[in-house]
Amino acid sequence: MVCPLMAEIIPAVEIRDLVKDFKTSFRRKPLRAVDGVSIRIMPGEVYGLIGPNGSGKSTTMKALLGLVAPTSGNCAIFGKDSLKVDSRNEVGFLPENPYFYKHLSGAETLRFYGKLCGIGGKVLSERINELLALVDLENARDRRVGGYSKGMLQRIGLAQALIQEPRLVILDEPTAGVDPVGSRQIRDMILTLRDRGITVFLCSHLLEQVQEVCDHVGIIFQGHMIREGRLEDLISIEDQTDIVLRDATPELLEKITALVENTPGAAIVRTGKPRTTLERLFLREIREEEP
Amino acid sequence: MSQTKHNRTKGSHAGRILVIATHTFTQLVRMKVFYFMGFFAVIVIASNFFDLPQHEGPESVGANVLRSIKSWSLGAMTLFSVVLSVVATALLLPKDVEDRTLYTILAKPVPRFDYLAGKLLGVLMLVFVSLACMDLLMTAVLHIRTGMVVAQQAEMAAAMGWPQDAIDSLRSDTLAHGPNAALQGAVFAVFLRAAIMASLALLISTFSTSTLFTTIVSFLIYFIGHFQADARDVYLHAGQAGEGVFARLAALLLSLVLPDFQLFNVIDAVIEGQALPLLAVGKLALVGLYYALFFAFVSWFIFADKEF
Repeated sequence: MVCPLMAEIIPAVEIRDLVKDFKTSFRRKPLRAVDGVSIRIMPGEVYGLIGPNGSGKSTTMKALLGLVAPTSGNCAIFGKDSLKVDSRNEVGFLPENPYFYKHLSGAETLRFYGKLCGIGGKVLSERINELLALVDLENARDRRVGGYSKGMLQRIGLAQALIQEPRLVILDEPTAGVDPVGSRQIRDMILTLRDRGITVFLCSHLLEQVQEVCDHVGIIFQGHMIREGRLEDLISIEDQTDIVLRDATPELLEKITALVENTPGAAIVRTGKPRTTLERLFLREIREEEP
Repeated sequence: MSQTKHNRTKGSHAGRILVIATHTFTQLVRMKVFYFMGFFAVIVIASNFFDLPQHEGPESVGANVLRSIKSWSLGAMTLFSVVLSVVATALLLPKDVEDRTLYTILAKPVPRFDYLAGKLLGVLMLVFVSLACMDLLMTAVLHIRTGMVVAQQAEMAAAMGWPQDAIDSLRSDTLAHGPNAALQGAVFAVFLRAAIMASLALLISTFSTSTLFTTIVSFLIYFIGHFQADARDVYLHAGQAGEGVFARLAALLLSLVLPDFQLFNVIDAVIEGQALPLLAVGKLALVGLYYALFFAFVSWFIFADKEF
């Protein structure tokens, strides 16, 4: 019997000194895709692994899921070795650009994955309804997955990842190739998962999105982890402070400027109007256009 | 929370294998593979018209047509079941890898053995159902036609004034060509051969890089399997070579690894109206099971360490 307090402190993900070499050809040196990467994700965290294409993000995730065997080092999910099948009881995975069996409908797809996890009967039916509602695919539940759009495929993929109520969800480029509206939906779902206390490990090269949802990030480049930590700590500029004012008159601004200039050591770095992002503008505009 | 959930999410090996098998079966059915049943029906019905005119006497009236129905039907069954086993199996694994559906399956608590066993079982379920349907059609056609032939022969024999015991003997000879246990044994043999081929194709597809390669190599081994026993005999009985222990061991090893399809020649004997003893069926079942399991386990051995 494990004490609940003890269970809580087992990391959701523990990757220690992971090294992965891939054989290229007989004579050439093996290709080192991941070189000494260590990651620890505590339960409830949203961790973003960022890096350019080919930097070792997907290989790290595959090693965590036991799809590739580490050359050295080890990976564990909630304390269970990734090479053992039972480590996958607590994890859901959405691969990059997933394709599901085209001959199954959305609901059948979820039923298939649910049964693989040993769920069945009424419990599974209820879970399928709940997940289809969560990913907003209730209207497409009986349509064949072969006819789904890219955004719908990602969402059904997320639903299948969640079918057995895992405590950890691994998402490989969850918004790659999805339009801004779909991308926003997926991001909102990640935030919903975080609110439910589910640990999320995602990798992406879309930095802005990672910034919006993750509380911890790691930057991987050419197989090496080059920076890691809490997002807030990594991106805040320690010696600067933002003040955003609404309806400030020129007189007020002058007063503030004078106050700052009269304070020794302090200086105004920049003033101006904050800008919305192009993405927010796009979303606002199409929302206004909607009937 | 986790303890109760663990128990719930684990499931059993048999349960998971069955889920993957029924899914594979559905997948293949929705690929519209059952369309070939239409062709089979045409073949069985067409084989009815191969009744060459007979002038020798009542004993051979209509016997040829029964042989023709069996020959065409079992031939078509062999062709469809072997092609289906090889092509379907060769197609499934690379497709899952290419579409990355394999990742989503192996990322669930699914042992790799369960995945492979499920795929193989799914293909075998399809072959079994197909063969059962074809068997049903063949048996029905044969039953009707045998009845017609028996009546025709009895009529002719009576007209020619044959004694009753001669008529009875002719009747039992003709019934030996009709639907009987031996014929069902032959269909079972066809299934066993298809099962060996499916298992072999599964093995090849675990290391092959394309469906085409798997299909070609599987059919190559299929043809080798039909003459490997002859080749072995010739080799062992030709002069010096057969006397060495090494040669004998090599020959034994070859027969352990490469299936000997000459054992399935009993199907031809059944077409000729000969009986198929239960012992022979049992032996065939054991041989079939040995090769199918052997290939399946080697597949697992390779697949267990495969990286994706």
